[in-house]
Amino acid sequence: MTSRLKTLLIDDNDAFLVLAKHLLSAIEQIEVIGFGHDGYDAVRLAAELQPDLILMDMSMPGMGGLQATRLIKAQDAPPRILIASHYDDAAHREHTAQAGADGFVSKQDYEVAIARYVEKLCGEREPTHG
Amino acid sequence: MAESRVLLIERDEERAANLQVVLRFIDYQVLHVSSAADLQLADRRPQDWLAVIVGSDADDAAFASFMEWLKRDRHHPPLLVPPNARDALCERYRLDVSACLPLEQPPRYSELNELLRRAGLVRMEQDISATRLMGPTGNSASIRSLRRLIEQVAGHETNVLITGESGTGKEVAARALHDKSLRHDKPFVAVNCGAIPAELLESELFGHEKGAFTGAITARKGRFEIADGGTLFLDEIGDMSLPMQVKILRVLQERTYERVGSSRSVHCDVRIVAATHRNLEASIAAGSFREDLFYRLNVFPLEMPPLRERLDDLPLLVESISESMRHSGRGSMQFAPETLHALRSYGWPGNVRELANLIERLAVLHPNATVKIADLPQRYRQHVVLPVAAPVEALAAPAATPTELSPKALSVEAASTSPAAAEAAVAGPAIMDASLLPADGVNLKDRIEAIELALIRQALDQAGGVVAHAARLLSTHRTTLVEKLRKYGLHREDLREEQRAS
Repeated sequence: MTSRLKTLLIDDNDAFLVLAKHLLSAIEQIEVIGFGHDGYDAVRLAAELQPDLILMDMSMPGMGGLQATRLIKAQDAPPRILIASHYDDAAHREHTAQAGADGFVSKQDYEVAIARYVEKLCGEREPTHG
Repeated sequence: MAESRVLLIERDEERAANLQVVLRFIDYQVLHVSSAADLQLADRRPQDWLAVIVGSDADDAAFASFMEWLKRDRHHPPLLVPPNARDALCERYRLDVSACLPLEQPPRYSELNELLRRAGLVRMEQDISATRLMGPTGNSASIRSLRRLIEQVAGHETNVLITGESGTGKEVAARALHDKSLRHDKPFVAVNCGAIPAELLESELFGHEKGAFTGAITARKGRFEIADGGTLFLDEIGDMSLPMQVKILRVLQERTYERVGSSRSVHCDVRIVAATHRNLEASIAAGSFREDLFYRLNVFPLEMPPLRERLDDLPLLVESISESMRHSGRGSMQFAPETLHALRSYGWPGNVRELANLIERLAVLHPNATVKIADLPQRYRQHVVLPVAAPVEALAAPAATPTELSPKALSVEAASTSPAAAEAAVAGPAIMDASLLPADGVNLKDRIEAIELALIRQALDQAGGVVAHAARLLSTHRTTLVEKLRKYGLHREDLREEQRAS
C-alpha cells in the first residue's frame, strides 16, 4: 500500500470520538484527518477534505448518519462510508445498506470490525497502487 | 433525523445518576431535569429526544404543560414510565398505549436497551417516510402506462413482480399498488432481502420465539406477521438465498409459516409484491433462482422505466422531490432552467433515487438558492453542451454584447472573455461548438434542445417576457411555446425575476 486512508470520524459524542481516535491509532492504514459532530459536518467535510473513508455514527442530532450517507454518495468520487451503531440487528443493517453505505460496524466490536474492513479494502486497492 | 438524546425527568437524584450511567454506556446523551418546570421548551422540539423517561412523582402542573407541548407533534417520542403509573398517564393525557411504555423500576439494562432500540427504529422509519415520494410521478408514455397497469391490478389479490434498475422507484410503485388495493387500510411492510444478512433474514421475516437462538432474549414478530391483512413488499428478492426461496414458496403455496424456534404453524393473510433489479430468467438459468418461485411471483409483471428513458419527466420529478423536502423541513433549492436542461444530458445510472439525493445535497450546500450548472458535481456537467452563441449566464442578462448573442457558436476561449461566460465555462470542460460533431459523437436530441432553449431565452428576453411576442419572434404558436417553457422548467415568475435583476 502506498498511501494511508484519509479518514473522517463523525459522532455526536465527544468522548466516543476521543476513544475512537485512540483505538484507530493501532490501525496503521488509517490517518484521521478530521472530526464532525453531525451529518451536516459530514457532508461539508466530505466535500472539503475529500477523505477516502468516513466512519460515522448512525444516530446524531440534526442530520443522522444515514441521511448524510445518501448526500455524500452524491458527490464526485465519494468516499467509502461505514456506519456505526450500538445496535447490531437486521433492521439497523438493512437501513444502513439501503442508505448506500459500504458497511456496518457494531460499536461493541468497533476497532476489530474496522481493522477487518480496512484490511480487505487495502487488499482491493493494492494492485492499482502497486 | 435520528437522535441519540434521551430526556430524563426524575426527582430522585440517586436514581437519576444510576440511570444516566446506564444510558451513557449504551451510547445515549441524557438531559436530566428534576421537574418538567426546568425545561426551556421555547428552544426545543419534541423530536430533539428519542424517548422521554418519566420517573415517579413527575406528574405535576409543569408536566401537564410539557405533555401539552409534546403532543402537538404527532410523531412525538414515546414516554417510558413506571408500570404502575402507566394507565393513569395514558388516561389523563389521552395517550395511545404505544406512546407510553412501561419501564420496570429500577430499570433493567436489557429492557431499557430494547425499548430504546425500538424507539430508534420508529424514528428511522419516520425519517424515511418523510423522504418518501408518492407516485409514480411523470407524464411520459412509460409512466402513464405504468399507472394504468397499477390501477388495473391493484384491486386483485394477484402477486406482482416489479422489475427495473436500482433507484427507479420500485417501492413507490409497490406502495401505489397497496394504496389502491382493498388492503389499503392495513399495513404495508417492506423488507429489503438483499440488505439483511442471510442468517438473520428468516427470523426477520417469520419472527422467532424467546430463546430460539443466542441473542433471542424475547419473542419477536416477523414481518409477515406485522403485515397481516396488508401487503408485504419483498424488495431485491433476486438476492435471496435458495434455502430462503424454498420457505417463501411454501408460504405462497400453503399460506402458513412457523416462527423460528416454534413448530406451531401460523396462518398468514398477506399480498406479496416482490421486486428485483436482477434478470430473474438469467438467474434461473444460472441456478441461483427457483423457477417455480419465479412463476408464483411473476403473475403480473411491472417494469419500471429508467430515468434516462423518460427525461421529459425531469421537471415534474424535481418539483415533486422539492415539494416533499419543503414539506418535511429538509430545506429547499431550485434549479436554474439551464441547470435543469444540463441534467438531461446525464445518464442517471442511479435513477430517481440519485436525483433525489442530488437535490437534497444541493439544498444542504446551497440552501434556498438557485443552483447553477457550476454548482453541480462534475459528473453531472461532463457532457453539458452549451450553444455558446448565447452563454447561459449571459442569456439572463440583456446587457449581453451582440457578439455573445451572435448566432454563430463561440469557442471556449471566446466564451471565457466575459465574467458571465467565464462562470459558464467553469461549469464544465465540455463546453463546445454546438455545430461541430465531437469525435465520440453527440446526443442529437439533447444538442438540439440546448439550442432551442437558448433561442427561447433570447426571444423572451427580447419580448420583455411576453410569451405571445416571443412566440411571434420564433414563428411558433403561443401554446407551443408555453408547452416548451413547461418542458424546460422555465416559469414566467423566474423570467420576470431575471428581468428585474438585470
